[in-house]
Amino acid sequence: MFPFVDGFQWTFGHILFLTVFGMVVATMAVTLFVVIQRVLDHYRKDRVEHVQWQSDFHDLSEMDRRCRHELAGRVPRRECHNAFDCGECREHPKFEKIEPATTALSLEAFGLDFPADRLYHRGHTWVRLEDDGTMTIGLDDLGKRLLGAPDRVELPKPGDEVSVNGAAWYAFRNETPVRVLSPVDGVVVATGGPDQDWYLKVRPTRANPNLAHLLRGPEVSAWLRRELERLQILVGVTGAGAALADGGALMEDLPGAQPETNWDGVYGKMFLAP
Amino acid sequence: MTGTITKPAAIATVEKKWIVRGHERCSTARFMGWLAPWIGLLLLGLYATYLCFRYGLGETHLDNRFGFGLWIFLDLAVIALGAGAFFSGFLLYILKWKEIKAVINSAVVLGFLCYSGAVAVLAVDVGQPLRAWFTFWHPNTHSMLTEVTFCITVYLVVLTIEYLPIILKNRKFKSIPSFLVFEWELHKLMPVFAGVGVFLSFFHQGSLGGLFGVMRGRPFAFREGFSIWPTTFFLFVLSAAAVGPSFIILTTKLVEKITGKRLVKQDIYRVLAKTTGVLLTVYVALKSLDTLLWLNSTSIRAGVAPWEFYEFRPFGHATLFTEIVIFGMIPALLLLSRRLRERPGVITLGAVLACLGVVFNRFVMTIQTLALPTLSFDEFMIYLPNWVEYAVFGGVIAYAVIVYSLSYRYLNLFPQEMELQLAPKEVNDVSVR
Repeated sequence: MFPFVDGFQWTFGHILFLTVFGMVVATMAVTLFVVIQRVLDHYRKDRVEHVQWQSDFHDLSEMDRRCRHELAGRVPRRECHNAFDCGECREHPKFEKIEPATTALSLEAFGLDFPADRLYHRGHTWVRLEDDGTMTIGLDDLGKRLLGAPDRVELPKPGDEVSVNGAAWYAFRNETPVRVLSPVDGVVVATGGPDQDWYLKVRPTRANPNLAHLLRGPEVSAWLRRELERLQILVGVTGAGAALADGGALMEDLPGAQPETNWDGVYGKMFLAP
Repeated sequence: MTGTITKPAAIATVEKKWIVRGHERCSTARFMGWLAPWIGLLLLGLYATYLCFRYGLGETHLDNRFGFGLWIFLDLAVIALGAGAFFSGFLLYILKWKEIKAVINSAVVLGFLCYSGAVAVLAVDVGQPLRAWFTFWHPNTHSMLTEVTFCITVYLVVLTIEYLPIILKNRKFKSIPSFLVFEWELHKLMPVFAGVGVFLSFFHQGSLGGLFGVMRGRPFAFREGFSIWPTTFFLFVLSAAAVGPSFIILTTKLVEKITGKRLVKQDIYRVLAKTTGVLLTVYVALKSLDTLLWLNSTSIRAGVAPWEFYEFRPFGHATLFTEIVIFGMIPALLLLSRRLRERPGVITLGAVLACLGVVFNRFVMTIQTLALPTLSFDEFMIYLPNWVEYAVFGGVIAYAVIVYSLSYRYLNLFPQEMELQLAPKEVNDVSVR
């Protein structure tokens, strides 16, 4: 079968077989080589967090990947294919100019506190731009209620770098870990915690940080409404979601109020870390 | 005393960390209880394998006449059923049918189990495992089995590569950054492996059929065709592609039944069922044409009265009728009808019949072909496997069940599982294709 084995003949059949077999093996070998090269490249460029987000985003269900412009009623139906990175989306500038179809609900709708001076990340964190050029990062009101009182929190140290959609900090509730995503790139300058309104203060790594992916204005209400719908499904019809229909508000400590819920699954979905 | 109580609890806590986020699985003890009988069957299979390796095929009922018995039938059947892996890869990565994403992981695991199981049985059948490499080094270049050997070996490597990202997606493994990055990059280039898989599968599925079609000394199986490929080459490819989606339907429904969970949306079943319906219709048409040609031309020209083959019991005319009508035409019509596909029971029935059809076809090609006399002094032979053959057969089934069970428990075989667990039924049942 091979030229160096007894019995091999330079016939058409042998040559055809060797060519085809060689091509198949070569294709597989080259593909594996490319994979390894790319892996090494990610390590060289310190892009592991970025890859983790891409992988996690890929694992989100179609319902969890809805485009912000669909939620705001600017387009009828659209799934995000850019891992929520609106800065990379070619359609985003076009859609942004369209007036949202949603009624401009108050940011305090649904009994939750979403101050208008902040930008919101879809992993339930917020960013506030400070006068000194730093950015303050905190957990939004829904995120707070989802976690309740965490057992412990692991925060980065001042001087550590956080990257957008990478881990900002870890919180633990009932032994369930929650990977909270960073809404921006930056270097940590100070840390807060659950007992304060904020978790991190960061200095942006770039002069003009990219904030295009963060939600603002009336679209926050539209997104929040969808998040509450998702939560309602996740915790079951008898859960906290039932409060929405009768105009009630979510409880402060949802895991404490409904311990029988599969919170591990809920956290994966709501904090975008499946 | 405290130790005996806390130990299982500690194991359960550790084990929980390996289960996919949000997935609900039975207790560790219950899972071990499910595995226990299969492990027993696997051990019996391993003992039978030892006997074959130690004392040779004299331990079985295989002989010079029936060199192809239960094991080769099992090989042909599982390779056909495992075709769901290459065909669903083709539909998802090449034709971009997004719906297939819901079952692709399970299809890959099934494909891997079918092919690795087939290779394991073949290793027992051929014997002398230390000389297995001879088949690659000193192949018979005039045998279709050579092409089958090369293709199946390389395709098993492809399936292993396709299985790897699914394993690395395990909750514990993906917390290791290098595994996660490797998995992601491998996943992105999966269409290349899917393409290679389609290429290899086309040829080895075909060559398995061609193997019988070229046997001039066995006029019951002999067929003419194009160039070096008899018609059985193309019929095997087509039948495998047709039943692959049905096997995915059946296994998924079986897992749903056993676990009591909904794993894929009803639309996905409809898409898979329609795919089988269309391909099976084409297959039945071509198979009927092929049979008519064989009855009226190929056999006559070879000096054989083909209907005489059906005089031998238990292989009567009913065999032909069963294969083409009951296991061919009926499931094809059931799955082709849009109205009937709306009923889950019909989809299950159609898929069962289609899978039985391909298994029966492989049985006819292997066992019936060898049982029939071909020379004037020859006689009809009956072959029944002995316990060693059944034990090896059972061992392979047990291996597949164990690995699939572990995969279902710790890997994300059905990405829609959590969504379906939570959503009301009517939300999911929207027709898409």
